[in-house]
Amino acid sequence: MFSLPLLKQSIKANWVLWAALTAVMSLLCVQFSAMKMTQGMMFEIYYGMMVVILPGVYVMVTANKLLASQVDRGSMAYVLSTPTRRGTVVATQILYLIGSLLLMFAIPTALHAAVNAGSPITYADAAAHVTHVVTAGDIVLVNLSAFVACALMGGICFMLSGIFNLSKYAIGVGGALVMFFILAGMLAMFGTMGGSSITFLKSFQYLTVTSLFDYKSILLSTTVWLPKLAAAAVGTVATLGIGSAVFCKKDLPL
Amino acid sequence: MIEFVAPPASAIATRPGTDLIRVDHLTKDYGRGRGLFDVTFQVKRGEVMGIVGTNGAGKTTTMRHLMGFLKPDSGTARIGALDARLDAAELKRHIGYVPGEIDFPDVGTGTSFLRLQAAMAGLDHLDYMNQLIDRFKIDITAPLRRMSKGMKQKMGIVAGLMAKPQILLLDEPSTGLDPLMRDTLVEAIEEAKAGGATVLMSSHVFKELEDTCDTVLFLQAGRVVSAASRSMFEANPREMFAIRFADDADYRRFIAEPHRVVGPDRTVGADPVTHTVTAYLPEGRINEFFSDLQGYRVASIQNPRFTLEQFFTKVLSPQVLGDTTTPAAAPGPRQSAKAAA
Repeated sequence: MFSLPLLKQSIKANWVLWAALTAVMSLLCVQFSAMKMTQGMMFEIYYGMMVVILPGVYVMVTANKLLASQVDRGSMAYVLSTPTRRGTVVATQILYLIGSLLLMFAIPTALHAAVNAGSPITYADAAAHVTHVVTAGDIVLVNLSAFVACALMGGICFMLSGIFNLSKYAIGVGGALVMFFILAGMLAMFGTMGGSSITFLKSFQYLTVTSLFDYKSILLSTTVWLPKLAAAAVGTVATLGIGSAVFCKKDLPL
Repeated sequence: MIEFVAPPASAIATRPGTDLIRVDHLTKDYGRGRGLFDVTFQVKRGEVMGIVGTNGAGKTTTMRHLMGFLKPDSGTARIGALDARLDAAELKRHIGYVPGEIDFPDVGTGTSFLRLQAAMAGLDHLDYMNQLIDRFKIDITAPLRRMSKGMKQKMGIVAGLMAKPQILLLDEPSTGLDPLMRDTLVEAIEEAKAGGATVLMSSHVFKELEDTCDTVLFLQAGRVVSAASRSMFEANPREMFAIRFADDADYRRFIAEPHRVVGPDRTVGADPVTHTVTAYLPEGRINEFFSDLQGYRVASIQNPRFTLEQFFTKVLSPQVLGDTTTPAAAPGPRQSAKAAA
C-alpha cells in the first residue's frame, strides 16, 4: 500500500517548506494567543486568515512537487523503475501530503491549547450577543475544521498534480484556485464585518472552499460546522481519488 | 511497508535463444506523423539489441512502452509472459532502466539518492553498486543539483545497473560521457551480457552499438526500416570496395554498363562528385571483379571497413529519405541481414 523509501524521499524533498511554514504558524499562534494586545484578534486574524493562507501555500507547492513536478522533470522515472506500483506511489504521496498537513495543524493546536490553559480568551460575538470562554476542546475542533478545509485545497491541488504532466499547468491552475479561495474568503469576511454597503461581499462565501471552515459555529455551539466539515471531507476524498485514478491510468513521458 | 507481491518464477523465464521481449504491431499515434506505427520486433534472451534513428524516430517512445509508462493505441509490448503495461510493477523486478532525460528526486546528495533507490528496488547487497561507483569515478557525496551532465548520466547508469537486472533498457546511455567513460559503459554492458542479461539500448553513436550489439534496429519516423545483424556490419573488410574512376565519363560508363560482379544489386554507393562507386563483393570473385574493371581508367581502389554507420548513411538513409544520388538499392547487405536474422 505504501512505500517507506518513497515516503522518506518525499520528506527529504519537502520538509524545508513544511518546517518554515509550520514555524511561522506556531509563532503567530503563540503570539496572538499569549499577548493581551492581540488576544482579541486571535480568531479574526489567526483563525480567520492565517490557518488558511499558510497551509494553502503549503499544499499548493507540495502537491505539485509530489507528482506533476516529478513527472515533468523526469525524476519519477526512478521511482517507477523499481517494483513500486503507481497506486503505491499516489497512496504514499497522499499519506505524506495529508500527514504533514495534519502535523502542521497539530503543533500550533497544542501550543494554543497550552497558552489557553494559562490565560483563556473570551470570544465575543457582537452580532449574536454571545460571549464564550474558549476551552481546549474548542481549540481542537476549530483546528480540525480548518484542517479539513485545507485538506480539500490540498486534494484539489493533488488532483491537478495527478492530471497534468507539466508542472506549470498543475501549479498554475492549482495556485490560481488556492489564491482565489483565499481572496474570496477574505472578501466574504469583510462582508460580514463591515457596514451594510459591503454586505454584498458576503456572497463570496459561496465561491470558496474556505467557508467550509466555520470557527464561529463551533464557538457559538451551533452545529452548522458539522455538515460543512463532512462536505470538505467528502470533497477531499473525491479529489484525491480522481487525481490518483488519473495518475494510475495516464501516459507518463518518462 | 514495501509492497511485495512475488511474481510467478516462470513469468519471464524463457530459455536462452527464445524471444524475451516481443513488440507486436505497436502503434502510438501522437498526430502529425509523430509516434510509433506498427512497430514489430523481438529480442532474444541474452541478446543485445541496439535501436538507431534520428531524433523523433521513436526510440524513446519504444522504451517507454516497454517500461509500461505509455499505453499503446494498438498492438502489444510484452516481456516474457507479462504485458509491459499491465504487469509493469512485476516486471520492474527484472528491469534496469536508464532514462533518456536524467533528473533526480530532490533528495540532496548522490549518496542519499542511491540509498533510497536501492531501498525501493529491494536491493540488500550494495557491492556491485559500490563497484560501479568506483569504475565510473563518481563523487556521490556531491549535491545532485550541482552535478554536471556527465556526472548525472553516470549516476543514472549506476542506478539502472546496480541491481544486476536480467533486462536492461538503456535510452541513449552514453549521452554526455567522455570517451573513457563510454568504454567503461560498454564494458559494463558486456559484463551484463556475459551474465545472461538481455539488453535493448538506443544510441546515436554507431561505434558503441557496433561494440556491443548483436542486432541493430533502424527506426525512421516511427517505423522499423531495417534490422542489421552483427555479421552484416562486421563483414569481412575485403568484401567492400570503393572504386574511384579517373573521370566522370568512365564513372558514368561503368554505372551504365553491365558487369559480371559489380551489378546494381551489389552497388551500395555511387558518388558523382568523386566518381566513386562503392560495392559489396562476395569473397572469391576478386579476379572476376578485376576483369570487370578492365577497359575503365581507375584512379584508386580502397577497401574501407563496412561499418554500421556506413550501412545507415549509405544504404538506409538514401532508401528511406528517397535520396536519388544513390541509384541502386542494396539487396546485398539486406539479404545477409535477413539470412543472419
